[in-house]
Amino acid sequence: MSAEPILKNYYIISSGILLLAIGMFIMHYEKKRPQTREIVTLSVLSALAVVSRSAFAMIPFFKPMMGIIMITAMAFGPGAGFLTGTVAAFVSNFIFGQGPWTPWQMFAYGIGGALAGVLTKRKIMEENKRLITAIIGYLVVQLIVGPILDTSSIFIMGNAVQENYLLTIYIAGIIPNAVHGLATFLTLLLMAKPMLEKLNRIKIKYGMAGGQSYEI
Amino acid sequence: MVHFEIKNLSFSYPSDMKKEILHKVSLTVKRGEFITICGKSGCGKTTLLRHLKTVLTPYGKREGEILYKGKNLKEADLRTQSSEIGYVMQNPDQQIVTDKVWHELAFGLESLGCDQKTIRLRVAEMASYFGIQDWFHKKTDQLSGGQKQLLNLASIMAMQPELLILDEPTSQLDPIAASDFLNTIRKINRELGTTIIITEHRLEDILYASDRVIVMEAGRIIADDMPENIGEQLLKNKHPMFAAMPAPVQIFHGISKESKVLEGRELSCPLTVRQGARWLDLLFNGMALKETRIAEKKSNSEKGSSFPAVKLKEIWFRYQKDSPDVIKDLSLEIEKGSIFCIVGGNGTGKSTTLKIISGICRPYRGKVFIEGKPLEKYKTRELFGGILAMLPQDPQNLFVHKTVKEDLEEMISRKDSRREEKIKEIAALCELTHLLDSHPYDLSGGELQRAALGKILLTNPGIILLDEPTKGLDSIFKITFAGILKKLREQGTTIIMVSHDVEFCADYADWVGMFFDGGIVTTNTAEGFFLGNSFYTTAANRMSRHLFENTVTNKDVISLCQQNLS
Amino acid sequence: MCFLHCHPMINLVFYLGAIFMGMCFTHPVFQLCALLLSLSYYVLLFKENRLRKLLGMSVFFLMIALGNPLFNDRGESLLFTWINGRGYFLEALYYGISMGAMFVTVILWFSTYQQVMTSDKLLYCFGNLAPAFTMILTMVFRFIPDFQKKILQITAARKGIGKWQEEGKQRTKIEQGLLILSLLTSQALEHSIVTADSMKSRGFGSGKSTAFSIFQIKKSETCLLFLMFVLLLTILLCALAGGMSAVYFPWIELSSFGSLPTSLGFICYAIFLSIPTVLHIREEIIWYILKLKI
Repeated sequence: MSAEPILKNYYIISSGILLLAIGMFIMHYEKKRPQTREIVTLSVLSALAVVSRSAFAMIPFFKPMMGIIMITAMAFGPGAGFLTGTVAAFVSNFIFGQGPWTPWQMFAYGIGGALAGVLTKRKIMEENKRLITAIIGYLVVQLIVGPILDTSSIFIMGNAVQENYLLTIYIAGIIPNAVHGLATFLTLLLMAKPMLEKLNRIKIKYGMAGGQSYEI
Repeated sequence: MVHFEIKNLSFSYPSDMKKEILHKVSLTVKRGEFITICGKSGCGKTTLLRHLKTVLTPYGKREGEILYKGKNLKEADLRTQSSEIGYVMQNPDQQIVTDKVWHELAFGLESLGCDQKTIRLRVAEMASYFGIQDWFHKKTDQLSGGQKQLLNLASIMAMQPELLILDEPTSQLDPIAASDFLNTIRKINRELGTTIIITEHRLEDILYASDRVIVMEAGRIIADDMPENIGEQLLKNKHPMFAAMPAPVQIFHGISKESKVLEGRELSCPLTVRQGARWLDLLFNGMALKETRIAEKKSNSEKGSSFPAVKLKEIWFRYQKDSPDVIKDLSLEIEKGSIFCIVGGNGTGKSTTLKIISGICRPYRGKVFIEGKPLEKYKTRELFGGILAMLPQDPQNLFVHKTVKEDLEEMISRKDSRREEKIKEIAALCELTHLLDSHPYDLSGGELQRAALGKILLTNPGIILLDEPTKGLDSIFKITFAGILKKLREQGTTIIMVSHDVEFCADYADWVGMFFDGGIVTTNTAEGFFLGNSFYTTAANRMSRHLFENTVTNKDVISLCQQNLS
Repeated sequence: MCFLHCHPMINLVFYLGAIFMGMCFTHPVFQLCALLLSLSYYVLLFKENRLRKLLGMSVFFLMIALGNPLFNDRGESLLFTWINGRGYFLEALYYGISMGAMFVTVILWFSTYQQVMTSDKLLYCFGNLAPAFTMILTMVFRFIPDFQKKILQITAARKGIGKWQEEGKQRTKIEQGLLILSLLTSQALEHSIVTADSMKSRGFGSGKSTAFSIFQIKKSETCLLFLMFVLLLTILLCALAGGMSAVYFPWIELSSFGSLPTSLGFICYAIFLSIPTVLHIREEIIWYILKLKI
C-alpha cells in the first residue's frame, strides 16, 4: 500500500503521462536543430495565438487561439502545430494563471494543432476547402480538445473518480465547447485563407521556400 | 590596412533580372575609417550594406567580388563574421530578440558559445560603457525608441566587432535620441578605432565626423569624396540629394557662386553650425552690414477670418484612473485653413492631443469643439465623413488589403458613382498612380506615407491630423510630401501636425505651438516661434543669429548674405 | 536571502515538491499543515485583493467538499439519501473536505508560484535542457507585449478614419476583430524577418551556443538546496513506508503519529513547506533591524 496514494491518484498519473509526452516531443524537436527563421516564425505565431483573444475584447467567450494554432499547423505541419499549441497554452497561462490545468491545456491545444497538421497532410483540411476545414476545426474542438480540457477537473476528485462524475463534466462541457468550437470555426472560415496567403507571401518574398542564393 | 574591398559588384533580384539594384560598385574601406553613404530611398544603399555580411546577403544574381581582409568574404566563417562585422538595422523594435535587457546584451555572445564568465564581464563592460546600468533589469518592451536602438548597438558591441555597419539607425528616433545615438557612434569610432559604415538621412550630425562621404544613385556610386567637397559635387550635377545636406553646406553653396567679395579668398565649406557661424564672420570680415533684417514675409494667416476649425477648452486627460495626467489644462484654438505644427519633447502628450481632437481619447474634463460644434454632438459617420481624419504615426496600421487600390476603395461606399474618378484624382494628387496595384508593404516609407495620406483624403476631410508624418522620410520625399500639404491648404484644408522635424516646420508651417508638460507653452507664427527660441530652432537661425535679426530658413540667410555682398 | 529572490533552482525544486506532494498526501494532518503554510506565504506575498480571492477559494472549497458525496456513493455511514435513493455518505463528505483542502492548497501554491517564478527564472531552468524551445518561449514573451500594443494602435488608427464601431451587431464586432488580427499577422510576419536577420547577424545558429544567466548561486543557497533534497528524500522514504497513508473508503483509516514514518515524515514535510514563509519573515526582520540602525 506504500506507493498507493500516487498510483491511485488518476490526476497525477494522467498529468505525468501528458507532461512526459510533451517533454519527449520537445526533446525530439531539439534534435532536429530547427532553423532560425522557423524558430522566429513559430514564436510569432504562438504569440499571435496568445494575444488573439485581445483583438476580440468586445466579444466575450470568443477564443480564436485554437483556430490560429490550426492555421499554423496547416502551413507548417503537425509538429509545428503541436509545438505552437503547447507554447501558446503555456504562455497564456502566465497571463491568466498557472494551475493544475496547465499540462492538460498544453496537451489539448497541442493535440488540436497536431491533428490539423495531419489532416492537412491527408488533404482533408485545405486552404481552398474553407467550409470543410472550418467544420473539421469545429468538430476537433467539440469532440477532442474540449473534452481533454474538461478532463483536467478530475483533479478535484482525487482517486475517487467515478463514471457518473466523468459523464457529468463531459455533459456540462458540451455547451462551452460548442462556443469554443464556433470561435474556431469562424476563425478558420474567415482567417485561414488570408493567413496562409500571408505566410506564403513571406516565404516567397524572403526566399524561405528553399530558394538558394546564386553564389558569386 | 584595407578592411573591405568591393570590386565591380552588380546585383539584381530574381523577380526582376533586368533591373540592376547595384551596378558595378567598387569601394575600398580602410581600417578605422568613418564612411557615410547617402542617397535617396531605393538607390541601393541597403542592398550594398547587406552584401557585407553573408547571412544578410539577399538572394539574387550577383557579379563581382567582395574581399574581407584580402580574402573572399565567403571564406570567413559565420562565427568570425558574426563577431567581427556588426550590423545595426533601421527599426529599433524589430531587431530586439529577447524580453530582458540583460539577455539581449548577452544574446550574441551566447550564440557564439562564450562561457558564463566571459559573457558576464563583457555584458557588464558594455552596460557601463553605454550607460545601461539603470535599465539593465528592465523588460525590453518598456524602453523608449532611443534606448532600444542603443541596446541594439550595445549588444553588437559586446561581441567586439572590428567593423560596424549601420543602416539608417536613427530614422525612427526623435532628434535628441538620434543625436545621442550618433554621438555614441562617433565615440566608438574615435575611442575604439572601430571602422564605421553608416547610411543616414540626418547628415548634420555625422557629416563633419566622416572621413569620406559616398553618394549613390540608381545602384551606382556617383560621388566619393571628403565631406567638404561633397556639396560642390552634388551641386555640379544638380543632384536632388543636395537638399539633404546640412544647412551650413547649403548656405555656403547658395551664395559662393556669384559673390565678388569672395574672389581671391579660399574659404572651405562649413559642415557644422559652429563652422558656419565662423565662416559667416570671415565672409563679412570687417564689413558693416547694410541689411540685417529680411523684409517682412507675407503672413499667410488672416486673423479672425471665421470661427476656429478646432478649439480645445481646458482639457484634462489621463489614460487610467490612477495614472498621472498626460494633458493638463490645455486650451488651444486652431485657425481654419492653416498648417499648425505641434513641437516638443517625447512623451509630453503631443500625440495624445491629436487623439483627443479626433475623439479616440476622451478627456475627463474640458471640451473639444470641431468647426464650432462640440465633439460629442457629432455622429461617427458625420465626423469622419468629410470633417476630420487622422493619419497615425505608423502608416502601416491603415493598410488592411492586398493592394493599395483596394485599400483606397475601402474609404468610399460602393454606391458612389464617382468612386473610380475620386480614387484617380487622389492617386494623382499623392503621386500614387503607378503604385495602385502594389502590395502596401512593398512600398518604401515615403510611398507608404503618401498612400496613407491618400487614403484619409478620400473622405474629403476639412481637418487632417498628422502624427509625425516626416518620420523616416528622406529629404526628397519630404519635399514631395510638403508639396501635397501646400496644395491641400490652398483648398482650405486645416492641417494639424505633430512633428519633431524643426526644419520642416520652419519651412512649411503657419503656426507653431510648443508642447511641454501636458500643455502648450507658447503659440506663435512659425517665424516668430523659431526666432524666439535658442535651442528649438533651425540650424540656419543658429548659425546666423549673431549677424542677422530674423533669419529662419536657409533661403533667408542666403538672400540676406547676397544683399549685403552685392 | 528572500525566497522571492532566491536562485531559480531553489524556487523550482520547492514548487515541484510542494505541488506534487500537496496532490499526493491525503492525510488530513498533512493537508492542514500544507494548507496553513501555503496560506501563510500567500498572505505574506499578496497585499491587495487577497480577502476577495480567499473568499472565492472558500466557496470552491465548500463546493468540492459538499459536492463530492453527490458523485461518490461509497462509504459506510449514511447521512441521508437523495434522488433515486442514492446515498450521501459521511466518508465521502470527509473525502470531499480533504479534496477541497488539496484544491485550495494547490491553487495557493500556484498563485505564489506565479509571483516567484518569473518568466526569466523559468527560462533559466530550461535554458540548457532545451535551447530551441527556450528560445521560442523567450521570443513569445518578448512579442506578446509588442503585439498587445500593436492591437491598441491599430484600433486607434481605425478609429481615426472612422472605421470602427464601438456598438453594433455581433457580426460587425467579429469582422472588426478579424481585421485587426489579420493586420497584426501581416505586420508581425513582416517584422519577424528583421528579427531573424538580427539573430543570424549575431551568430545565432552558427554552432554550439551557451545559455547565459544573471543568476549566480550563493554558498548559502547551495546549502539550502542540499537541505531540501535531504528533506525530500526523507519524506519519500517515509511515504514509501506508508507514513502518509490515509484511506477513506469504505471506512476512514489514518496512519497514526505513533509510528516513526508518520511523525518523521510530518516534521520533514512541515520544515520543507515552511521554507518560503520562514525566509520571507526572516528577511523582513533583518531589514527592519537594519533600518533601525540607519
